[in-house]
Amino acid sequence: MFEFLKLVQNENMKIYRRVRTWVMFAIMLAIPLAMSVIGLLYGEDPDMWAYARSEALAVLTLMSIFAVVIAADSVAGEFSSGTIKLLLIRPWSRSKILLSKYLALALFMLLSMALLFVFTLLLNLALFGSGGDYTFPNQGSMSHFAYLAAFYGLSLIEMVVTVTMAFMISTVFRSGSLAIGLSIFVLLGGQIIASLLEWLDKPWVDYILFLHFGLQRHLAGYPMIADRTLGFSLGVLSGYYVIFMALSWYVFNRRDVAA
Amino acid sequence: MLDVNKGGTEPVVRLLNVTKRIGRRTIIDNLTFDVPPGEVFGFLGPNGSGKTTTIRMMVGLMRMTSGEILIRGKSIRTDFEAAVRQVGAIVENPELYRYLTGYQNLVHYARMIPGISKQRIDEVIELVGLTGRIHDKVKTYSLGMRQRLGVAQAILHRPALLILDEPTNGLDPAGIRELRDYLRHLAKNEGTTVFVSSHLLAEMELMCDRFAIIQNGKLVDVRPLNGREGGGEKAEILFEVDRPEAAASALGGAILRKESGGIVVGAGREEVADINARLVAAGVRVYGIRAVTKSLEDQFLEVTGGARGV
Repeated sequence: MFEFLKLVQNENMKIYRRVRTWVMFAIMLAIPLAMSVIGLLYGEDPDMWAYARSEALAVLTLMSIFAVVIAADSVAGEFSSGTIKLLLIRPWSRSKILLSKYLALALFMLLSMALLFVFTLLLNLALFGSGGDYTFPNQGSMSHFAYLAAFYGLSLIEMVVTVTMAFMISTVFRSGSLAIGLSIFVLLGGQIIASLLEWLDKPWVDYILFLHFGLQRHLAGYPMIADRTLGFSLGVLSGYYVIFMALSWYVFNRRDVAA
Repeated sequence: MLDVNKGGTEPVVRLLNVTKRIGRRTIIDNLTFDVPPGEVFGFLGPNGSGKTTTIRMMVGLMRMTSGEILIRGKSIRTDFEAAVRQVGAIVENPELYRYLTGYQNLVHYARMIPGISKQRIDEVIELVGLTGRIHDKVKTYSLGMRQRLGVAQAILHRPALLILDEPTNGLDPAGIRELRDYLRHLAKNEGTTVFVSSHLLAEMELMCDRFAIIQNGKLVDVRPLNGREGGGEKAEILFEVDRPEAAASALGGAILRKESGGIVVGAGREEVADINARLVAAGVRVYGIRAVTKSLEDQFLEVTGGARGV
């Protein structure tokens, strides 16, 4: 077990020893900082929770894109640089090497989310204080903190599915750019396709990946497909998740590493 | 320690009927040979003959269609982790993480095998002569330095078998010489078996004790390099002299052939000195004495039937 953690440590080194990762973190924190400062200067009666939520909305998509970039590079990058050859001739099974990459990626997502969550809360608390009377849409009896935490949790689930898809494409097609392109399409274009497909009255429409993004809508009380519950969406997403993982591992284990 | 029992005469690598087919094409056809321990073993073949594919199968990067590869008795197919633990390799170019420093690269590989101490890392850095630049990013390294870092990652865990695929590609003459001396040192002093592929015959000739030749995925021959084994035998010796006719008669005609500017005789070590004395006594001027061994290139062309593309 301890020996395996060293593999994860290696993958972490490959993420955090690169300048781009720190540029990503800087951007992730600069955006909420700028939004709050603008709010402080020009906003009418700014509230810490309102700002924490809009900043999360603004940054979370970008954060997904950053995580997708790292996921796309994780496997495909080793192939395109040729380093995969030296990586796979160590006394570790391919499954474990892939798992170490995936875990490092999961840690990156958790770290980014935690960083944004803590940073925006502290920042807005410091700037605006906790005395506002803002309530979240459909908040009900939930506390502000619990609501925002749930908001992040649902975003994390979506991010994990998107990033796992990028990881799968990166592994199966060994192309980082394809992985990034397709994942961004799912993140942004998917919503448009979803709104078109919604009008189709076919049973399979309910199982299309795009339609189940935007989980936070369940929290706010207006889901994408009107009569589908959060549980159903989570079920469909986990189905896709299992397929992405299985494909990644199957292909990575069987692949001949040539040229 | 990892390097238990490097001695003995058991082959370090055994290839048994190794075959690789991709689609309908047979890339490697029923390859069988053993690599004896403690030798520098050359793996020769024209471009596209299947050298790299064979090496990739030996380290588990590619699957065999059929057959078996054993590394010190462990199957690379069914017992991959135990088999590959004995192996250090550079497959084609030494591709390392360019955004990491040389040192971070070595730490990366050291973490993947238990029992490599910090001292061992420093020792290896010293050995390949990278001490001054090891904390610089790999992207600032010259090809020769990357090659040395590649060797360093391959020998970190003191492998019983070191596999190098075309190691002299892109190296300048000084770098080639350094690598060659280094490989011979490993084989001689550390008992490491070195398996090295190349299509550069002159290089292999200077490096190897034995070599296998493949062509179109088939094994053509395995043989020791002439001159390295059976030192007591008579060799063909060329005497460069001013008057070949006079030299021939001074030896009573006991020569193999005359060449322009010299004679060729078959002689052992002591006889060479005697012949020289007789020539000098007969007033023949001797400018040079050297052994006429068949070059690897000659042998290679002989067994491959003068295949082109080498």
